[in-house]
Amino acid sequence: MTTTLLSLFAVFLFFLVIFYIAKTIELSSIAKNGLKNDYVKSTKVNAYLAMFFYIVGMIILVMTTISLAPRMLPESASVHGVEMDKMFDVTLWVTGLAFLLTQTLLFFFVYFYRYNEDRKAYFFPHSNLLEMIWTIVPAVVLVALVFKGIGVWHNVFDFQQLDGKDPIVFEVTGKQFAWVLRYPGADGKLGPREITHENINEFNAKYSLPNELGIVWTDKASQDDIYPNDIYLVKDRPVLVKLGALDVIHSFYLPHFRVKMDCVPGMPTQFMFTPMYTTEEFKERLKNKKFWKNIDPKTGEPRWKGFKFELACAELCGKSHFGMQKNVVVVEQEEYDAWLAKQKPFYKTVVKKAMDRVDNQ
Amino acid sequence: MSTDLTHGHDDHGHHHEDTWLTKYIFSQDHKMIAKQFLITGIIWAFIGGLLSLFFRMQLAWPNETFPILETLLGKWAEGGQISNDFYYSLVTMHGTILVFFVLTAGLSGTFSNLLIPLQIGARDMASPLMNMLSYWFFFAAGVVMFSSFFVQTGPASGGWTAYPPLNGIRDISINIGSGLGFDLWIASMSLFIVSSLLGGLNYVATIINLRTKGMTMTRLPLLIWALLFTAVLGILSFPALLSAAVLLEFDRILDTSFFLNNIVIGGDLLAYKGGSPVLFQHLFWFLGHPEVYIIIFPAMGIVSEILSVNAKKPIFGYKAMIMSIGSITVVGFFVWAHHMFVSGMNPNLGIVFIIFTLLIAIPSSIKVFNWLTTLWRGNLKLTPPMMFAIGFISFFIFGGITGIFLGNAPVDLPLHDTYFVVAHFHVVMGVSAFFGMWAGVYHWFPKMYGRFMNDTLAYIHFWGSLIGGYLVFVPMHFLTGVPRRYYSFEQFTTFDIFQDVNVIITLGAFLVFATQIVFLINFFYSIFKGRKMTSDNLNPWGANTLEWTTPVERIHGNWSGDIPQVYRWPYDYSVNGNEINPQTKPLEEGEEEH
Ligand code: HEM
Ligand SMILES: [Cu+2]
Ligand SMILES: [Cu+2]
Repeated sequence: MTTTLLSLFAVFLFFLVIFYIAKTIELSSIAKNGLKNDYVKSTKVNAYLAMFFYIVGMIILVMTTISLAPRMLPESASVHGVEMDKMFDVTLWVTGLAFLLTQTLLFFFVYFYRYNEDRKAYFFPHSNLLEMIWTIVPAVVLVALVFKGIGVWHNVFDFQQLDGKDPIVFEVTGKQFAWVLRYPGADGKLGPREITHENINEFNAKYSLPNELGIVWTDKASQDDIYPNDIYLVKDRPVLVKLGALDVIHSFYLPHFRVKMDCVPGMPTQFMFTPMYTTEEFKERLKNKKFWKNIDPKTGEPRWKGFKFELACAELCGKSHFGMQKNVVVVEQEEYDAWLAKQKPFYKTVVKKAMDRVDNQ
Repeated sequence: MSTDLTHGHDDHGHHHEDTWLTKYIFSQDHKMIAKQFLITGIIWAFIGGLLSLFFRMQLAWPNETFPILETLLGKWAEGGQISNDFYYSLVTMHGTILVFFVLTAGLSGTFSNLLIPLQIGARDMASPLMNMLSYWFFFAAGVVMFSSFFVQTGPASGGWTAYPPLNGIRDISINIGSGLGFDLWIASMSLFIVSSLLGGLNYVATIINLRTKGMTMTRLPLLIWALLFTAVLGILSFPALLSAAVLLEFDRILDTSFFLNNIVIGGDLLAYKGGSPVLFQHLFWFLGHPEVYIIIFPAMGIVSEILSVNAKKPIFGYKAMIMSIGSITVVGFFVWAHHMFVSGMNPNLGIVFIIFTLLIAIPSSIKVFNWLTTLWRGNLKLTPPMMFAIGFISFFIFGGITGIFLGNAPVDLPLHDTYFVVAHFHVVMGVSAFFGMWAGVYHWFPKMYGRFMNDTLAYIHFWGSLIGGYLVFVPMHFLTGVPRRYYSFEQFTTFDIFQDVNVIITLGAFLVFATQIVFLINFFYSIFKGRKMTSDNLNPWGANTLEWTTPVERIHGNWSGDIPQVYRWPYDYSVNGNEINPQTKPLEEGEEEH
């Protein structure tokens, strides 16, 4: 309590001192020059400060970039993400140049054209040529970016690319505050869903077992579906995720794969992508990278060892929005098959038992 | 041109019978209403800023406890740590308050009211009564929003964007702020929209009809053009938000299904059928995107004036400036879905919005180059408002550039709903619009109070805000993949590597806030005790515009004699051998009008 009061008092004193200094400067200026201020002296001071700020600021900007860039998301782990990253880089170079140019002009002009009694401002109200230049140059650059962007965007959502590719098709449903994963069983087919009162509410009432997804359990295709804890994917094999949500909007976000798509209640969405590396291969790629080779103080091991692909929620969905984590594991086909074989269909382990208990009474 | 529409000055000599109540509270004088908007805006800015410190503390030190928080916030910070429920209330209210109450009402409300009549040469607004109502609706909106902090379940907590179903179902088990707190949010926003519309219609009517003799549209200061387009944007877009808000409330209390479909909660399907959550997003962003221009236009206008006055140079490319702001107004209505590239809307629709969004970057960049050229070979007096105008440009460039990343859907997809977006819009809207606002406050403070603010404190305010602004938002851009609206990052190995950066950002936020206290001291002290503006110093910055022809006493009706006539555009600086050529000065023999 006393420390709080003391620090409050210190803060108060700090502002008081600043205030009195400022007031004194003003009063002495009024005593000298009257109530008018011509800002000649302060122009000089601020022009120097601006130049100083520009130079030091640019140095700090470069240093910040050098120290923080290695921590940004690593290279894309999916095929389409590589294209996106390329576009990000191109945009960064183009706009970075524009940033440097315009900020430099701004601060140099402030410094070099600061007030000087002997100079007169140059009356220069317009110039068609100049205005044409800075309409056309940005326009050309932006058209190029748009063109490239539309191409990449179109590819990301061109689902016909999957024809004949045997993608892994699975389903992810967001709810407060978890992800429900559903993979097809041995038949390779996801069982049908019916979002109806009978299939959900009455089922729940009858069997005391929620059927939130509205699965039609009597359908054979539903009975071998599995509901794993982690997302398993196969290197180089395309994935088609079917997305949905039960209660509020969530967003399926795989940062390392540059995947993001909202999961909307009552409206199915989907996304496709192809992982390029297994988890182990990706770790190997990070092994010698700056930041990743450092020791993680939490585990005492190099950071790359603790690396994992993760699923996160990217749309505010309530108070535990920040906790909707799942692991994503990319493996080779054989390992995937082995994993799949180990999973037990939910119908067998839970649903059938619950239904039998009621139906056989 | 239309002086006869306003009451002649005879009415104005004897307004001494104004009571305290009609002079300071229910005033219909545009200058007083401007001050009311400004001071209300400043109070809200203080509250909104304070909220951000609370949640920044959580982000910087997620595992520490601060007993002072429990003292201040009670059950919302039990044990000295902000609860996740309250964290989301804080970010929601912070966004709502700053976007609407501060940067819309506080910025456009203040300067439209103060400067439209003064710069076009009118005695007051077209409808002073509507103007007064506009303020009082805003005030009421504020009271309702403020009261939501004191309801049992807390204020709205589903984001300033208010997406359903999170905010569309009146059930606090889904979202604690979705109870009474959000009803109050809707009520407050509805009042606010009414305020905005009353104000906007009035501004447009005034600018079109009440210009003084000789004040043709092409002799208007760019600031007036900016305020005109701001008002047009508001009139055309706020109704979309109003309808969205009303329909949302219907869903909440009348169990309609405008925005809801097939919701399953607690294992049971609810009765909502056939609505679309994405439709709400379309309606919201149909306002939401124009809203960002509603915020930035007044700042752009203010900066254009201040640059030109202090550089003693005409603003470069006056017509191009009007055309760019005009085309932003038009195209600004066709870019809204760039906020929705991954909302589940048809991806092909995204292509249209990529094109329009990057198209809109062209007029924005024209404006930047024109400002720069205005500085080129000027004779710059670096007054406090001038420094803020320069800071505005610096931040606007920075934030505009990150917009180009976000407007391009394939680049946006990984960045959407991450801190990169937070950084983008805080730089361009938060910081740069604030710089425009401060520039305007320092520049026109003598017009409002007949006194000057202290210059030293103003420069401290400038440098603290500039350094603090960059300190907060440069590092934030490196959190490209880190999702926004996260209470803590500890569940994710991917995101939990920026603790030290978050500490720096939070310290920057404290610096910025402390600097604002310097501003507050300066502002309120100077109202009563600042350096006086004297009658031999009526035009302290050496400007050409009409507002500096009014007397020191801020009288009802603005000019004690006739309203001055205008003969030229406002940018005849450093021409004809004169540094300034006020708009009221007739053209010289043989002089061609610009
Ligand atoms: C060059 C011009 C600009 C472009 C191309 C641009 C583009 C974008 C895009 C595409 C987004 C969506 C990002 C996402 O959510 O994934 C965005 C967000 C935003 N921008 Fe800009 N922007 C520009 C300038 C501005 C200006 C001038 C302002 C305000 C004064 C502004 C305010 C905002 C806000 C408030 C958001 C995010 C709102 C939210 O999600 O909470 N932007 N911008
Ligand atoms: Cu979420
Ligand atoms: Cu937008």
